[in-house]
Amino acid sequence: MSDPKRLHPIAAMINMLRQLKELIVPILFFTVVGSRGNENVFYFIAVGVGLVLVLLTGILSWYRFTYRVEEGELRIEHGLFVRKKRYIPFERIQSLDITEGILQRPFGLVKVKVETAGGSKTENAEAVLTAIRKEEASQIHDFLVSVKNSKRRDEFEEEAVPIQESIIYRLSFGDLLLLASTSGGVGVVISAIVAFFFQFEEIIPYEKVYKEVEHFIANGVIFVSIVVFLGFLLAWVISVLGTMVKYANFTLKKVDQDLIITRGLLEKRQMTIPLKRIQAIRISENVLRQPFGRGSVYIESAGGSALNEEGSKVLVLPLIKKQDIAKTLEPFLEEYPFKSNFHTLPPRALTRYLGRGVVIVIPVAVVISYFFKPWGYVSLLFILASLIWSALKYKDAGWAIDKDFLVLRYRTFVKNTVLMRKEKIQSLTARKSFYQNKKRLATIEAVVKSGHSGSGGRVKDLEDKDVINIYQWYSRDAHH
Amino acid sequence: MVPEPQTRISKRALVVWRITGVITSLFSWIVGGALVTLGVLFDWPVWMIIALIILILIFSYLFTFFFPKLRWKRWRYEVREQEIEIQRGVFIMKRTLIPMVRVQHVDTQQGPLLRKYQLSTVMISTAATVHEIPALEMDEAEELRRSISRLARVADEDV
Repeated sequence: MSDPKRLHPIAAMINMLRQLKELIVPILFFTVVGSRGNENVFYFIAVGVGLVLVLLTGILSWYRFTYRVEEGELRIEHGLFVRKKRYIPFERIQSLDITEGILQRPFGLVKVKVETAGGSKTENAEAVLTAIRKEEASQIHDFLVSVKNSKRRDEFEEEAVPIQESIIYRLSFGDLLLLASTSGGVGVVISAIVAFFFQFEEIIPYEKVYKEVEHFIANGVIFVSIVVFLGFLLAWVISVLGTMVKYANFTLKKVDQDLIITRGLLEKRQMTIPLKRIQAIRISENVLRQPFGRGSVYIESAGGSALNEEGSKVLVLPLIKKQDIAKTLEPFLEEYPFKSNFHTLPPRALTRYLGRGVVIVIPVAVVISYFFKPWGYVSLLFILASLIWSALKYKDAGWAIDKDFLVLRYRTFVKNTVLMRKEKIQSLTARKSFYQNKKRLATIEAVVKSGHSGSGGRVKDLEDKDVINIYQWYSRDAHH
Repeated sequence: MVPEPQTRISKRALVVWRITGVITSLFSWIVGGALVTLGVLFDWPVWMIIALIILILIFSYLFTFFFPKLRWKRWRYEVREQEIEIQRGVFIMKRTLIPMVRVQHVDTQQGPLLRKYQLSTVMISTAATVHEIPALEMDEAEELRRSISRLARVADEDV
């Protein structure tokens, strides 16, 4: 594989299309302005020249772009006027992201994104081969695997190790449907609320109440709510379809020392997460999915560049029955404690949780009730909602230490359970306010690396003895 | 809780923070002065003007005397063989552990005010977080920077 190779010519077209997309505004501007005056010939020429330039640079830069595999490096040379070379040693490659785009697909081509170890926040963290044949992509992939293997194995052993591949998880159609219909999150809730009020509209005889004077307005209200409702419904349907297209055929595999995700209907995507790069595992339970006993599992990974945030928090199990999570992942993510005994919060923490929610909601509700009588009183319901939500937060919060792992559980809007290996925790902070101190409570926060920034978990109002325990568990110098 | 970290930051930090506090209170004096003038011009009730002046005085006292003092008293750190521990906070006590193996690099930093008092701030970065130890004596900061990077280098683990 050492001869310099060009990308498939379709790459030139893809690049041109991308450039045209950027030029579309100026071109439209030119044509609109141009068609008004007498000098429209001039403008058409300008547009024509622009198009030809795009065409030429597209072809030329395609012609100049070569790649080859040489001396254990992926060597890319490109550049129209300035010749640029980028040599990427295979050991430095973090992951290959293989995508089958709509344009690549008919030709049996794929787009390969090579991601190197982050650090730099520029696009230098990655290189893209826009369109190459599938076989070549898999050759590069195999080569990468063999390089990584040979590094691990004894260098004298020459034969290739048979690659072990096992499927961990496949998203069933039923689950895909559920995933898509509950992923709108807030949108779903809003349309449900609108639908609810819309029904009120029918029960309460608005038109009789406002018979004469308000007749017109009442009609207006109904019309507006119908439009708003339909708008939300449409947005929701679109988001459902979008999610379905995105997550169709979702498969999670373990190949050798990597987790590989493939998904997508129109655009097939493949993502690789080296097991070594896993920083933490996050189980998220959305309120809408909880009634179905289902949650999602994410992996916080050290990979991913600043431009590709998707690479840092990867959805590995989009939707799964809660009790199946341990069974599914345990064989592949050894040691991670999926079933640990959680310590919950002491009862005296409950008032603090309730207080924190209510302290924001009560003033708002009071103000609304005062200024918008009589309907403003409905806002007092928010107080009830906030109390329920805070109680849920209290109930869900908890922690566990299981050998080398710290597990924190807390709820924001979704319930999160974060499993962190001690080695991967970047820093641990215990905090205690004056009032917490009085109640002998404290807050614990652990940060892990996720892409280029931090992620992790924070649980408020634990028993302060527990916080000390966690703190000492994390401390490496036995000074206490 | 567990025994506190032992090292304190420089006593001169207190001076720097007081100066910062004075600058902050100056703003409150400007805003407060404007309000008092308005009050006199437009005949606000006398108690309102008095309350305003008391408020400004309390504000200045807190920011130039009370908070810096408390902050300094709470600020402690300790650099050990395998980890760094930091304790700080005025209203909320925070204690953080940073293992040496997680330290990526250490910087020192110095603004004009700190330079005048021969102090500098040490910033410890991990892959995901940055921690600050403010206002150390310059040589102490330099020494700290050196020893942390030495200890951090010894412990070489993958991210």
